[in-house]
Amino acid sequence: MNTFLRKNTVLLITLAVITALFIAAAQGMEKKDFVITLLRGLAVGSITFLVASGFSLIFGLLDVLNLAHGTLFMIGAYIGWTVFVRPDTFVDLLTPLALILSGFALADVYPFLATRIRLGLSMKRILPWALILVSVLIFSFILPRYPISIWDVENYGQSPVTYSFMADSGTRLPAPVAVFTEIAAPLALIGLVLASMIGAFGLSLFNSETQQQFKLTWKNFAAFAILLIVALLTFIFNESLTAVLTGLSSNWLFLIAVVVATLSGAGLGALIESTLIRPLYIRPIYQLMLTLGMSAIGIEIVRSVWGRPEFVMPKPAFFNGTGGVCPATNFADWWANNCSTILLLDGRVRVYNEIFIPIIGVIVLISIWMLLQRTRLGMVIRAGVQDREMVEALGINVRRVFTMVFGLGVGLAALGGILAAPSMGLSNAMGESLFLNALIALAIGGLTNYPGAALGSVLVGLIQQFIIKYGQIGIAIPFTDIIFKPTPPLVPASTVLLMVIILLILPNGLLGKKE
Amino acid sequence: MEYILDVQNIHTFIGQYHILQGVNVRVPKGSITALLGRNGAGKTTTLKSILGLTPPREGKVIYEGKEVQGMHSFDIASKGIGFVPEHRAIFRDLTVEENLKIAERVKGDYLRKRDFIFDLFPDLKRLITLPGTSLSGGQQQMLAIARSFVADNHLLLIDEPSEGLAPVIIESMMSVIRELSKDSTIVLVEQNFLVASRLAEYYVIIEEGRSVQEGSMKDLANDKAAIHRYLGAA
Repeated sequence: MNTFLRKNTVLLITLAVITALFIAAAQGMEKKDFVITLLRGLAVGSITFLVASGFSLIFGLLDVLNLAHGTLFMIGAYIGWTVFVRPDTFVDLLTPLALILSGFALADVYPFLATRIRLGLSMKRILPWALILVSVLIFSFILPRYPISIWDVENYGQSPVTYSFMADSGTRLPAPVAVFTEIAAPLALIGLVLASMIGAFGLSLFNSETQQQFKLTWKNFAAFAILLIVALLTFIFNESLTAVLTGLSSNWLFLIAVVVATLSGAGLGALIESTLIRPLYIRPIYQLMLTLGMSAIGIEIVRSVWGRPEFVMPKPAFFNGTGGVCPATNFADWWANNCSTILLLDGRVRVYNEIFIPIIGVIVLISIWMLLQRTRLGMVIRAGVQDREMVEALGINVRRVFTMVFGLGVGLAALGGILAAPSMGLSNAMGESLFLNALIALAIGGLTNYPGAALGSVLVGLIQQFIIKYGQIGIAIPFTDIIFKPTPPLVPASTVLLMVIILLILPNGLLGKKE
Repeated sequence: MEYILDVQNIHTFIGQYHILQGVNVRVPKGSITALLGRNGAGKTTTLKSILGLTPPREGKVIYEGKEVQGMHSFDIASKGIGFVPEHRAIFRDLTVEENLKIAERVKGDYLRKRDFIFDLFPDLKRLITLPGTSLSGGQQQMLAIARSFVADNHLLLIDEPSEGLAPVIIESMMSVIRELSKDSTIVLVEQNFLVASRLAEYYVIIEEGRSVQEGSMKDLANDKAAIHRYLGAA
């Protein structure tokens, strides 16, 4: 214990000073204000943590600074919103998506195919590009003609803003059902599978310098077959599936939206890592530029699909009760009426924003911690953060672990996005400020340290919320009559200031280890 | 003679530097073979090239009759090669037990080998719950060696086992390596010629990225000229 104290004196003193500052901050405001500010800080901290922890896992193991992480957070929110507000669009999208992915599920088969093809050197260079071009051409022919019932960004009455507003007021705007008119259904389905296979084959030719002798088994085709079956089922049962989803209560639908957003984030992450990032591990600068580019592209895609205006995602009914009995005065009361607000120490606390989100934050914190500490995958991740080469020399397929961790990290960001959507609202810029917060939190907590990410995020969330609150009530400067009100620009500045001070004292962050 | 490993004329580049310029190493099955040579001659790079950590650009690495050059490191290692790197590379954030468990290639490897490991290294049993950071140099070396044979490896590549260790510990390390060589073939990189000559049956001398001489250790011990010329030792 003594050695622990000696080694961590600076850290303990810093933490003590921070705690003292928060206690001092608590003295200046009423109890109810303090409770609300604390909870809000924890909520912002939780969302920041979801982004920061994923980013730090990816950076720690893969050495990839994923600058697109904020954008992926935002994409998670928009995907979740789509499932929640427009389940019919979501169901319509399932079939083509499964078909587009099906080709990539055959990844193990392509190297085998490639060894069978004997070509001249120049043809070998051209072939992958030619295949990708063909695939893009087929896609661009079929996809615009594929019927998907979707909103119309140009037309306000049919725009996401209107759909969201209507859903918030409890009615579902009727949406037109999409049918195959411009292209025959079998042609579209088969064309998508073919285009996907051709494109995936072309991509796989880029990194096929390693020749391996292996046999093909049914396992290499299993994922492909499953995707085809999913596509076929969702195609046949499209309408009944839509009816089931629209018939669900908003609570279940919200749960489905959260799961779909998280899983699509994870899938998107795995896809990005295995196709775009993997060829660039030897060129870190290119990687950085790639993720930066992806971020810009992602924002533009979201703008063109969901439009520029901001809109609010409705909360699930479980957190949205109003009426005479609300706000609830205690949790039993809340449980009975599902009020949107609850009175804690005379302060009105929004249940979803300020209680539910921090709870999810804690649950994720603990589950990822368990994953890291208790499972073999976690053990490999912890070892790989320190010495990738040695893990590989033990015979562990680090590439597969890389893909999983990238998927996990992006999945966490997407989960953060969909959770934040009902409280923050959806906008094209929602990822940027949060990503900046997450980076600051990581710098404070220690760049690749998991508990550090949590601590840093909570500190960033708390300090922002306290500054905002003091902007309203003002700080009385002792021994003077001056009341100082921090202005809004001081909110982001305060986190940066905190980061600068902590980095001056502890250059590796609060919990970061010396290299 | 049957060779478990046959390295044929490999050339390895690190960045733009041409580190290995034609190394040949043949390792008879069941033997201890030492790679000798001065600092920076390319001994460690040879081990890494065998494992594909620094993949050779030319030449062949044949392990148990199959060419493995150009494969991923984890595929090569999975064929049954254990590696003890220079500076041990113990995972600091993992406990001693986790450091051993992570080397499992088949579930249960660790449980099967546990008694054997603790017979060889009684010290490790006592330290089993401690993090890798809290071990001394000698304990780290023991852990690194133990980690290399948790999985059923037929070939162990051991880089500088005696580096930075006290003479007493070097002695026990040598007896462990002898014990291991009963079941596996061992390739040893060793600066300390005394240690190498007492352990190994065969040797390969690497000089400026080329293998220049090979043979049986007994012959080398009498070849004072070669020792002086290539190893700088008396």
